[in-house]
Amino acid sequence: MADSSNLKSDAIMEQMKQHFATDAGKQLTEKIGLVYQFHIAPKKLGFDEVVYTVNLKKGEVTKGPYEGGKPDASFSFKDEDFVKVALGKMNPQIAFMRGAMKIKGSLSAAQKFTPDIFPKPSKL
Amino acid sequence: MAMRDLVSGAAACGDSSSSSANPLASLANALVGSSSKTQERLKEIPTSTLTDPTSQFYSTALPVNHLPGSEFDKPLLDANYQASEFLHRFRGASGLEETWDEIQREGGVAGQRQLVPAIQQPPLDGTPQRVLSSFLHSFLDSSRGGVPFHPTPLPMLGLSEGDKQCIRDRSSIMARHLFADKSEEFIDAQVNALLCSLDIDSNVRGKGPMPERFRELEDYWNESQGNMRPGPPAADGWITEFSQHRGKYDNPDSWANSFEQQHGANGWVSEFEHSQLSSVGQMQGMNVSNFAAMEQTRMLANTLAQNGDPKFQNSKFLQFVSKMSRGELIIDDNQVKENASGNWATEYDQQYNGGHAWSGEFLNDKVYHGPDQWVNEYTTEGRQHDAPDDQWVNEFSKLNVNDWADEFGQQLGEAALGDGTSDSWAHAYDEFLNEQVASKQQLDSSRGVYVFSDLNPYVGHPNPLKEGQDLFRKGLLSEAVLALEAEVLKNPENAEGWRLLGIAHAENDDDQQAIAAMMRAQEADPTNLEVLLALGVSHTNELEQSAALKYLYGWLRHHPKYGTLAPPEMSDSLYYADVARLFNDAAELSPDDADVHIVLGVMYNLSREYDKAIASFERALKLKPQDYSLWNKLGATQANSIQSADAIMAYQQALDLKPNYVRAWANMGISYANQGMYDESIRYYVRALAMNPKAENAWQYLRISLSCASRNDMLEACDRRNLDLLQKEFPLQ
Repeated sequence: MADSSNLKSDAIMEQMKQHFATDAGKQLTEKIGLVYQFHIAPKKLGFDEVVYTVNLKKGEVTKGPYEGGKPDASFSFKDEDFVKVALGKMNPQIAFMRGAMKIKGSLSAAQKFTPDIFPKPSKL
Repeated sequence: MAMRDLVSGAAACGDSSSSSANPLASLANALVGSSSKTQERLKEIPTSTLTDPTSQFYSTALPVNHLPGSEFDKPLLDANYQASEFLHRFRGASGLEETWDEIQREGGVAGQRQLVPAIQQPPLDGTPQRVLSSFLHSFLDSSRGGVPFHPTPLPMLGLSEGDKQCIRDRSSIMARHLFADKSEEFIDAQVNALLCSLDIDSNVRGKGPMPERFRELEDYWNESQGNMRPGPPAADGWITEFSQHRGKYDNPDSWANSFEQQHGANGWVSEFEHSQLSSVGQMQGMNVSNFAAMEQTRMLANTLAQNGDPKFQNSKFLQFVSKMSRGELIIDDNQVKENASGNWATEYDQQYNGGHAWSGEFLNDKVYHGPDQWVNEYTTEGRQHDAPDDQWVNEFSKLNVNDWADEFGQQLGEAALGDGTSDSWAHAYDEFLNEQVASKQQLDSSRGVYVFSDLNPYVGHPNPLKEGQDLFRKGLLSEAVLALEAEVLKNPENAEGWRLLGIAHAENDDDQQAIAAMMRAQEADPTNLEVLLALGVSHTNELEQSAALKYLYGWLRHHPKYGTLAPPEMSDSLYYADVARLFNDAAELSPDDADVHIVLGVMYNLSREYDKAIASFERALKLKPQDYSLWNKLGATQANSIQSADAIMAYQQALDLKPNYVRAWANMGISYANQGMYDESIRYYVRALAMNPKAENAWQYLRISLSCASRNDMLEACDRRNLDLLQKEFPLQ
């Protein structure tokens, strides 16, 4: 159901959630095994953020901050930029250099965040 | 010219006239004589031609000077006039600064992309970038062994000032992280070795013009002033001062300092501000807090300068602070910016050297220089090592210039990174640089503006619409696009032309262009149902919910049969649930209308209720089994609800009906990739791209699949868009 926040990232997170049910999604948890937290802001970094936890240990996507302790890395994005990174339109390192992505936590964990972990939406 | 002299001189050899008696002399004259010198200079200064629109300075100033007898009448007015013109430039530049900031806020580097290509002096063919890249890599490699860095001689790279400044800044910062365990001397030696072999002066600050450019500027200035002498005293004084200071210019600080001494730092600035105010009449200038900050930093700079440690004396931090104290940097909106008026010399220089590119260069400077971002790191360092004035440093950190760079520094400092990390960062950094010279096409199309192809053979075709329709029917989508573009260029109000163009783009897997074309179609014919549906679909694909909802509601509202269901007042505030209910009513009203099921299917995609969406599309397919786009919609919905195997069957149906359906090929690739079958996905992406090399998404996805399939060897072919090689390497079947 389309909720009020209307972020483009919602669609990707939703698909990610479903993706964990597939074999490819399960392989991801073996490959990465980290917990990422995403702060997605509709317009401006740090404002009206929606928080998602992408748990690549258990294969879960949940709304809200990680409850099992400290995430391995947390990222802050604008909605638009998150979509660009998740869909491979922008390299995460370049996003970082531009200041379009902020990172907290371990940078080596953050390095494993690459566009290929997200499934790609198909087009009607 | 010399040749002609020689020839004509030879013909006149017998003549007693002394001037043409020696043709070689006139040749020599022609070669070294003043006329050719002037020509040379003209070549060096492209803007000196009056045809250039940017050189209004002279085109407006000249008439005043050339009024006979008027030269001496109003020397003061002239000076003012000139000064105001001059200052007008600055205002123009600060206007640019604003524009720049706006762009920066909105789209980050997207804006640079648009502007930067203009300033690359030699058109980059990619080679210098690659040379540079491997060179920088070897620098990074030297960090592993901790061995002194011995660079190899390099070919001319044609680096711009901005590039140099950038490399200089970044490399010294990088080096401090990379060699964190080494002594300062070692680091300096490494960086100097790098900079030296890149032909970058490690001391020159990028803002300062190069000496030879300066000389040229001076010559030019003097020459241009020649016709005004005895000139207005103000301008004259300026020239003298200018030439005096030029001698010392190898140290930009001293120049600025002595200037400051002469006029007093604040006196100078306020004088400057004052003159801007009075002569231009609209000064937006520096605000009071900047003056306060400047005064504060000036005091700090003095305190810091008394610190005897030579290491600290050379630190960028001190340079930054003194730069700020001179007003070259200002703090605005918590960001450090270069002050436009502080850079007047550079700018003046660029104005006359760069021609129309000067503005780009100026912006570029701002991009690269970015002491704002990196300087913060030095605050951290300063706190650790030097901290001569804790109070100020604290205050400075409160300004919170850009804390991400700070974080970056800390992370790297902690050495939390594994092997090869620096490589990948350096690679990304190269890309970041490359990106700045990349094409601007993407930017244009992302703004809903239709981007026409450059060379269109169908322009001038007697009936491009019919041609386009035929090509479309034959499945030659990219050709059809060209013909239809010719049609809408000829008849911009032809809704059908725009509509078909939009459909062709959508089938060609280019939603941005599809949206742009469909919006034009809707302008021409606001109630066309197919257009409204297509816009709804494209916006759904782009994950733009509210826009999609608006168009889908529009479809219902303008439908002859269901229009009555939709209350017109609803369009002001659309809620998904309400619209969905209306469509369900419509579907009940006429269950055999395939179209209403299609729209309903799109609606359910929007709300990610994929099972319902699949049911709607399947129902529509029973009524319209030959609709290839409907099969693709079914497939895409199944794929998005992770039924990839079913999706591939549906796509296959679509492709059986329309073999050149690029979107379906690309979707096939996505489905395989999402199942982790990267090798297969690559083949489908390549097939889609062979049919439409402009399908941006497919290129991006191909890149991801290539690296997931450990085919990094083909990444370069992907980046260079070498389809021949990719097709040979990844044939389908």
